Amino acid sequence: MKWKYSFLVTLMLAFLFMIAACSGDGGADTASTDGESEEENTEGDSGSDEEQVLVYARGGDSTSLDFASVSDGESSRVTKNIYDSLLDYERDSFDVVPGLAHDWEVSDDGLKYTFHLEEGVTFHDGTDFNAEAVKINFERWADPEHEYAFKDEGYAYPLYGTMFGGYKGDEDHIIKEINVVNDYEIEFVLKEPQGSFLQNMAMHYFAITSPAALEKYGPDIGENPVGTGPFQFVSWTKDDQIVLEKFEDYRKDGLPKLDKLIYEVIPENSARLIALRSGDVDIIDGVNPDDASGIKSEDGLKLYVRGENNVGYLGMNVEKEPLDDKLVRQAINHAVDNESIVEALYAGYATPAVNLIPPNYMGYNDEIEGYEYDPERAKELLAEAGKDDGLELDLWVMPVSRPYMPDPETVAEIVQNNLKEVGIKTNIVREEWAPYLEKTSQGEQELFLLGWSGSNGDPDYFFGSLLHGDNIGGENRSFYQNEKVDELIDQAATEIDQDKRAELYKEIQTLLHEDAPGVNLVHSTPLAAAKSAVKGFIPHPSTNDPMEEVYMEN
Amino acid sequence: MRTEEKQEEQQSIKDPSAYQQLESEEMEETSPWKDTIKQLRKNRFAVVGVVIILFFILLGLFAPLLTPYSYEEQALVDRLQPPSAEHWFGTDDVGRDIFTRIAYGARLSLQVGFFAVTGALVFGTLLGIVAGYFGRWIDTIISRIFDILLAFPSILLAIAIVSILGASLQNALIAIAIINIPIFGRLVRSKVISLREEEFIMAAKAQGMKNGRIIIHHILPNSAAPIIVQATLGFGTAILDAAGLGFLGLGAQPPTPEWGAMLAGSRDFIQLAPWTLIVPGVSIMLVVLGFNLIGDGLRDALDPKMKN
Repeated sequence: MKWKYSFLVTLMLAFLFMIAACSGDGGADTASTDGESEEENTEGDSGSDEEQVLVYARGGDSTSLDFASVSDGESSRVTKNIYDSLLDYERDSFDVVPGLAHDWEVSDDGLKYTFHLEEGVTFHDGTDFNAEAVKINFERWADPEHEYAFKDEGYAYPLYGTMFGGYKGDEDHIIKEINVVNDYEIEFVLKEPQGSFLQNMAMHYFAITSPAALEKYGPDIGENPVGTGPFQFVSWTKDDQIVLEKFEDYRKDGLPKLDKLIYEVIPENSARLIALRSGDVDIIDGVNPDDASGIKSEDGLKLYVRGENNVGYLGMNVEKEPLDDKLVRQAINHAVDNESIVEALYAGYATPAVNLIPPNYMGYNDEIEGYEYDPERAKELLAEAGKDDGLELDLWVMPVSRPYMPDPETVAEIVQNNLKEVGIKTNIVREEWAPYLEKTSQGEQELFLLGWSGSNGDPDYFFGSLLHGDNIGGENRSFYQNEKVDELIDQAATEIDQDKRAELYKEIQTLLHEDAPGVNLVHSTPLAAAKSAVKGFIPHPSTNDPMEEVYMEN
Repeated sequence: MRTEEKQEEQQSIKDPSAYQQLESEEMEETSPWKDTIKQLRKNRFAVVGVVIILFFILLGLFAPLLTPYSYEEQALVDRLQPPSAEHWFGTDDVGRDIFTRIAYGARLSLQVGFFAVTGALVFGTLLGIVAGYFGRWIDTIISRIFDILLAFPSILLAIAIVSILGASLQNALIAIAIINIPIFGRLVRSKVISLREEEFIMAAKAQGMKNGRIIIHHILPNSAAPIIVQATLGFGTAILDAAGLGFLGLGAQPPTPEWGAMLAGSRDFIQLAPWTLIVPGVSIMLVVLGFNLIGDGLRDALDPKMKN
């Protein structure tokens, strides 16, 4: 029986240690640093010969390093630093700045764009960057039959189709032709004007791959990325880490400042923070809002806040009974207390949503007043619809933490509780992430939680993708279809006068508010954290963080 | 229980002095059950186990009287409160009182343990007896089914079953019962096989006793000891499995206060609000420990070789 004693003693000791370890934090909670990231003006000279290695930890692995074939944030986050596109975004916003094209002109009718390219730029494999390379890349995405499209290997370029109206030969495909004027000048001729064309060209999904590498690696390009960016690819261990190293011939002098950049996968938010605290990693993306105050007050750590660029919502499948009834949808809008959700779960790093697009977007309609939290009104509306007793709905909950909703499970429990108060019973349904997206696309759900993050700062990316009738079966998981709304979305997409576009988007929001195809819950400002020794890091609202200016201070 | 035993017991109670005398002379004439309890009381670990389990039973039974809160009512302003006089074990991430949820959760866990073990016990014993007593091809078929079930890691099998049936506490319970059937079945079968050849069974057969009567009156009572031990231990593992399924989101669904689901829901708060994990974690551990201690004690007490 002696082993039992020692077992119990060990157990007790283990407990004590655990409790002691846990009580370390949570005490001091005074705000010291402010949450906003500040621009570092120090020069790149870190003054040491030591190799500069930085480990960036995130929640999931990349699916492919051929960014255009997967519209996946975890892929583009990495390739952003391997590849350049013709245009780029400002480091902390979606304002368009020069990239591989240092200058550009637009014809008066908005149909011809001429880009002047940087000279003397080389790809990591030594080939020269020129207009021909740009043309090959765009043709590769536009034409499924192109020799580098790799269609037979399952490659497709969904985002190209979404942003440019389709593919080669499609009626709505807006790029009519691409003309190489000379080695460093290229012309894009459009069929009809596109209001967000420059904004789209700056998306990282349209960065330029070395044509020689496409030739050399063929469909394996997804594992052997070759671009013109600040870092070149070294190795990739799936679900573990991707290693990049400094590209010596990078077109910007003195950059990048790091010698080595490692992207590591740590799925759980809390585990990632522990890794940062223990010094195993240098930057973490995806921090639970509840941990923010602890990080702020902790010496040696710094909290970073991304710009507002997303929406978290409670979607409704408007094809299913009783959600096909506008009154029921409005009732649910009144029943859900999104202000309390934001207050409780986002620790101040979010605002309750009224419209689908974030307030800092062009065309945001601030005249619309959100549905007030009012259970009584909700009950009245349900009674008016004749659905006031025994309503039972499935509520789908995504299984993973997302920037717009770090803790979906708890949001679901709160929504469940809110709806119970107005007499709607909900059953929580869980599904793995990939099937979750698949099945909600097919309309198996009734209520569902999800969200959307912008990747070009344009309202069309929200309205066009999420609520246009053409995207039913794809991103339009509400199965919402309103001819008037579709027409306005199309009109706004082809308008080049940005003021007129803004007016159209405002009108769209008014219609959507009335139709209520979902409950807009929250616009969050997602959090990241890093050691204080990390300098020059500015998180981008798109999560594609440029790392060329980042360095470690010794 | 056999009638002779009862009479014996009554006799000894009628004459306490004689009983004491017997005990002091370390003679073995009391009933086997009473004897077992006596042995058990000598085992301090088993007593601790009984106390733990009694505590949780009372906690579950009197949950509504012990706490003014509801296990599902949210108070978002009071979220993640550390333990205090108002909230003994603090509050969780939507402001529910953790003590309340633990108390109501005790009901669930003990129910899961009880029904899963009962289900496994009934079907396992039935199949085990049939296989052991009748032998031949029936034995082969049943034993191979047991082998197949045992070849899977039990929790994996439970996950598979729940995936087919759909995630709910009831289905988790069914899954746990199913994975435990072969454990009871094999135990009973081996006991029956050894009993089958005993002389008193032969005698009963020779007297023309029917198979059914032999099983009920001779085989079952004589196989009881290992089944009881296994059932007690099984209680613990069933609760642990249910918590595991709950943790994976395959067991109880929100807002049900199931301990495993509570753990899963709080795992992001391990540094910020450790009590949200420690309390359900320790509860699971204590209940499982309690049943294991009782089970161990019972095994020692029921084993004739261990008697002093």
